[in-house]
Amino acid sequence: MRARLATLLALGALGILLALAGCGGGGSDPADGPSQSQDPIRLGTKNFTEQFILGEIYAQSLRAHGIPVELKSDIGSSEIVDQAMQIGSLDMYPEYTGVLLSEIAGVSERPPSAEATFAAAQKFERTRGYDLLKMTPFSNSNALAVTHKTAMKYGLRTIGDLAKVPGGATIAAPPEFRTRFEGLVGLRDRYMLRAKVVAMPIGEQYRALDQGRVDAAAVFATDGMLEDEEYTILRDPRNLFSFQNVTPVVRTSVLRRTPELTKAVDPVSAKLTTDAMRQMNAQVDIDGMEPAEVAKQFLEREGLL
Amino acid sequence: MRSIFRRSLTIRTLLVGGVLAALLGAVFAVLVVAVREQQAAGRLALRSQQAIGAGSALETSLVNLENGVRGYVASGRERLLEPFRTARRTYPAQAERLSRLVADEPRQQAAVRQITTGINDYVALWALPLVGLADDRREVAQSVLATGTGRERLDTLRSELATLFARERSVAADRERRADKRSDTAVILGLIGMGLVALVALGMWLGLRRSILRPVERVALATRAVADGDLTVHVPADREDEIGTLARSFNDMTDALNRSHQQLDTRTRDLERSNHDLEQYAQMASHDLQAPLATIDLYLRLIERRLPDASQEELLQLLEGVGGSTDRMRSLVRDLLHLARVGRGEPRRETLDTRAVLDRALENLAGPIEERGADVSAGPLPIVSGDPGQLSLLFQNLLGNAIKFSDHDAPRVSVTASIEGAEAQFAVRDNGIGIDPQHAERIFQPFQRLHGEDRYEGTGIGLAICQRIVSHHGGRIWAESTVGAGSTFRFTLPLADASPPPPGPTTTHEPETSHAAAA
Repeated sequence: MRARLATLLALGALGILLALAGCGGGGSDPADGPSQSQDPIRLGTKNFTEQFILGEIYAQSLRAHGIPVELKSDIGSSEIVDQAMQIGSLDMYPEYTGVLLSEIAGVSERPPSAEATFAAAQKFERTRGYDLLKMTPFSNSNALAVTHKTAMKYGLRTIGDLAKVPGGATIAAPPEFRTRFEGLVGLRDRYMLRAKVVAMPIGEQYRALDQGRVDAAAVFATDGMLEDEEYTILRDPRNLFSFQNVTPVVRTSVLRRTPELTKAVDPVSAKLTTDAMRQMNAQVDIDGMEPAEVAKQFLEREGLL
Repeated sequence: MRSIFRRSLTIRTLLVGGVLAALLGAVFAVLVVAVREQQAAGRLALRSQQAIGAGSALETSLVNLENGVRGYVASGRERLLEPFRTARRTYPAQAERLSRLVADEPRQQAAVRQITTGINDYVALWALPLVGLADDRREVAQSVLATGTGRERLDTLRSELATLFARERSVAADRERRADKRSDTAVILGLIGMGLVALVALGMWLGLRRSILRPVERVALATRAVADGDLTVHVPADREDEIGTLARSFNDMTDALNRSHQQLDTRTRDLERSNHDLEQYAQMASHDLQAPLATIDLYLRLIERRLPDASQEELLQLLEGVGGSTDRMRSLVRDLLHLARVGRGEPRRETLDTRAVLDRALENLAGPIEERGADVSAGPLPIVSGDPGQLSLLFQNLLGNAIKFSDHDAPRVSVTASIEGAEAQFAVRDNGIGIDPQHAERIFQPFQRLHGEDRYEGTGIGLAICQRIVSHHGGRIWAESTVGAGSTFRFTLPLADASPPPPGPTTTHEPETSHAAAA
């Protein structure tokens, strides 16, 4: 009996030991996905809502055409993105024709039409080894907006009217506004206007306007916020703000290597009207939707997926 | 199983030993596991430390990237870009090392991948473009720098790294806790195991003491007792194992010793008696032989003295005296020879009709019967197994005594027999002088005479011969008598078809009445 009890105890001890000694199995590495036959297109965007949406739209369309894409959103201003293109970190990004011409090419003249602007920009980019694909119908021009109240208060209709603001107008704008021609430089140059810039990230200027911290705000014509009646866009009789249709800038070598890229991008660009863009911007900025979702809905709606 | 277990001490000891060994093995295994857990925990903790170290180096590189870019963009001094360049060269290896160090934690590895991609993007899509921009248009680059985007991204990456560190620390702490807990458990298990080992060992000791040492001690004590002469001692032998065998063997041994001791006693007593008998026998034989010798000597002296002038008649008378004494000596020597022969060797075993044996005895006694006018009658007599010569002598002696010790003119003797089991019991009855009871036993001893030779002649050996013959055949002989009313001598002999009982000392029945008789 004693021996049997001892045997049981010994077996029990062994059992506990085995349980203790049992070690967890290691996880297995996930298998690599099917290798891409070609390097992905590195598609970058600038650092605001409309660009995020455009990036998603082009990326999704490219993927739908079997072209692998690596989307790098929110890189920075045009200057930075252009530098990234130059050092080879990017292959493609959606750019505004006017910005391209004025800020990248450094051309201060304003071409008289959207087409002329595109042509000039394309000519410039082709000299650097890039090409422009078809531009969009919409033009997201820079603009200066004020609240309806402010406009009434000072009788503001044009950009030049900002001179009426006592003590000089303050403008909410991204920091690059200070150094751009389509910024303080042009304001001085075209309208002899001296204004103060309150620098802030793109998208926050409407709140600054609402809170009365600034008199005016640098905005985009396609901003979703402008669907609201509360804001007034100051007219630009001296053509300070140029045509800003979107055109995908693509590295020429990549375009040559991937000729089907044009077919995936151009039909998409053709559907991007001001209304469509402004609506999508509003969906993200006001309704809080994800750019990817908005882009997907747009592509589906337009039968592009 | 159970019975084997009970039957063999070896198996029991082996089993208990096996249990003990298994327990010790278990304890050892537990401790080995504990030590290995501790080692593994140490390794893991070290690796977590190394991972955090590698992450910190990566973070330093990250800060250097940002600081280099910031300094260069702000000042335009190439020298200030050096930290950026160095960091840009070193961070991929640092990220790789970090990734290796967290390889066993998928979540951490994913985080490292994300951070690495973030740094790659930071370098390729932010820092390098910014440097390029600063080369082209410094003031634009400065304004971009002023947005704080770079610092934001850096902070995002650093906070991701911080999360990684925190998780790594908690993973390490977790592992350490687990290892501590397991080693605590192992120590407790080890202690329990040691306790069990001690208990089993104690139980084994007690069990061994109870099942081996005590019984062996008992046997040892008993052996001592046997050595001290107590042959009656026994030890309990109810067990089935080796100890039981030992105890049984011991008991068998004492029994055997006891038996042989008793046999030795008996034999010694027999020898003593026989020695005593022999001494007495020699004494009496020489004494009895001396009497006729003295008589012969006397007659020869008379003859010598009287020879010159003795008449022939006188001489013949004297020579007759010599002859009588010589006859007496001859019969004495003959009886002694008979007595000695009967005691030697196994008697012949023949199937005998006792009637025929009796008839032969009567033939030999024809002289005395006729002389005394005796009347000898016999009943039906059985067939027995025995030596014809000895049995004839037996009857001859008994009948001769019956005729001799009688004062009647015509003595009457009857021989009868009855069957008692496997034996025949004979009775020789006479109407002689009888035997005094106080001599009833003595009469069967050699040279015992109750009466003077002048009255009843004889050697005094006849009944001794009878007793020896009967006893030699495995029977008994005894006398029943009343003084003056005759005697009855009874004896038993084995029946013919019964296997003979072993010869043994003859017991003589207490005679009912004593009666003087002598052979």
